[in-house]
This record gives sequence, structure tokens and C-alpha cells, in this order.
Amino acid sequence: MTITLLIVHGLVAVALLGALTHQTLAAWAPSRTRAGSFFDRFRGVAPASFANAVVVLYLLSASLGAVLYLDFRIDIRPSLERAGQWPALGVFDLKEHFIAIGLALLPAYWLLWRRPFPEDARRTRAAVTAILAFTVWWGFLIGHVVNNLMGFRP
Amino acid sequence: MTALPWLHRFAFAFGIAFGPLYAITVKFELAAFTVYPSLGIVLLGTRRPLDVVAPSMAFLAPGMYWYGWTTTAAMGATLLAVPAACWRSGWTRGVWLAGLWLLPTLAMAACVYVTMPLFRL
Repeated sequence: MTITLLIVHGLVAVALLGALTHQTLAAWAPSRTRAGSFFDRFRGVAPASFANAVVVLYLLSASLGAVLYLDFRIDIRPSLERAGQWPALGVFDLKEHFIAIGLALLPAYWLLWRRPFPEDARRTRAAVTAILAFTVWWGFLIGHVVNNLMGFRP
Repeated sequence: MTALPWLHRFAFAFGIAFGPLYAITVKFELAAFTVYPSLGIVLLGTRRPLDVVAPSMAFLAPGMYWYGWTTTAAMGATLLAVPAACWRSGWTRGVWLAGLWLLPTLAMAACVYVTMPLFRL
């Protein structure tokens, strides 16, 4: 059951990562044209259309992570502590902290993208989206590395 | 300048307040409750394993504080967001918009600082 949840957690995170990366680039460096290079097309999306999906996927991914965290604390963390992997545990703790802060930003993020906002909120919208993207990238990469960490040992 | 709607002010104030409160909660270990997954129990407040089992058995009962930290910070942010949302003033608009990205960013930096001892072990 834990393995299944972990795989679903990873798949949801991949979808969230894609949505947030598209949206962040479209918010910071919007492309006027949908044709052209790969990078132009990547950031040429309508960023507001991602907001609902991002909120749902973020909540789903965080919920799955919160459930899996119970198993991590019992089965994985003690092994890492015995192995002296303190930096790995430190970056994993940061993942928890960043995701919690990201969760609290979700209502504001949703409202910022929900309606046509005045020009003075454009930077805030882009910045909040970038913060969420950072938390998800951090969570994804660190979760992946810690998941595989014991396999790196000789 | 036009004031933000009530729901926006509440959501923005919550987002602004949560980060710093969370960092303070982690630093001073102010968990609303502690989860002991191996024992299947939840206790109010921050409880160390030695409070729950004999010292020789402490390694069998790891405590989890993240859920409690998040709850404490969310309760605090709600308490601050309600009066902030009732404060309807046009000039605060820029404060909401700047604070919404600035304070969570600073809170994340504070969390890095709080976690630093783990990197020195």
C-alpha cells in the first residue's frame, strides 16, 4: 500500500511540477507567439488556466505526502539517522517546511489568478507562483533523492 | 486606491502571517500536538519520546511534530487574518501585495537557519 501511495504521490508531483513550471515561465517571461522555439511554446500558455489544477494537485500531493510521512518516520528516518545521513534529513525537513508555507499561500495564489487583477498585482502573482514552483521543485528533487538514498550506499 | 475585497484581505493576511509564525513555531517547538505513529496515539502539545515511554524504549516511539507545527501556525495565522481582513483601507493594498511574497520568502530563509544544526552534525 505504501509503495502504491508513493508512486501516486510521485505521479501527482510530476503533473504539478509541469503545470507550475509552465505557469511560472508564462508569468515571468510571457511569449507573444505560440509558434517558434520550444521555449517560446513552453511559456506561450495561458497561465491563469493552470490555477485550479495547481491548487488541486498541490493539495492532493501534500495530502499524500502527509500520509506517507507516517511510514517515513517509522521505517525510513531511523535508518537514515543510524547511517548518519544528517544533511539528507536536514534537506528533507526543509521540504516539510517549504510545503507547509506553500500550502498557506494557496488561497492567495488562487485568488490572484482567479480574476483579472489590476496591473499592480502582476508582480505579486508572478512572485507567489515562483515561490510555489520552488517549493514543488525542492520537494520533488529532495523526495526523490532521499527515497533513493540508501541505494547510493556502497 | 481601491481596498481589496474581504476574502482577498483574509487570504493575503493568512498567507503573509503563516510563514513567520511557522518559523517561530519550529524554532520554539510549539506543536499543537505530537503524533506517535508507532504507538498510534496523538498527544496535545510538544511531547518528547521520553515523556511517553521508558528511556530504553525511546527509539521505538519516534514523535512527529510537523502536523502540530502546521496546525499551530495555521491557528495563529487565522487569528491574525480575521482582524486584518476587517481593516478596510486603500493604502494597505501595497502592503498586502508586497508582504505576500516577501514574508513567506523570509520565513523560508528562517527555516533554513533553524535547520542548519543538522548540516553540522
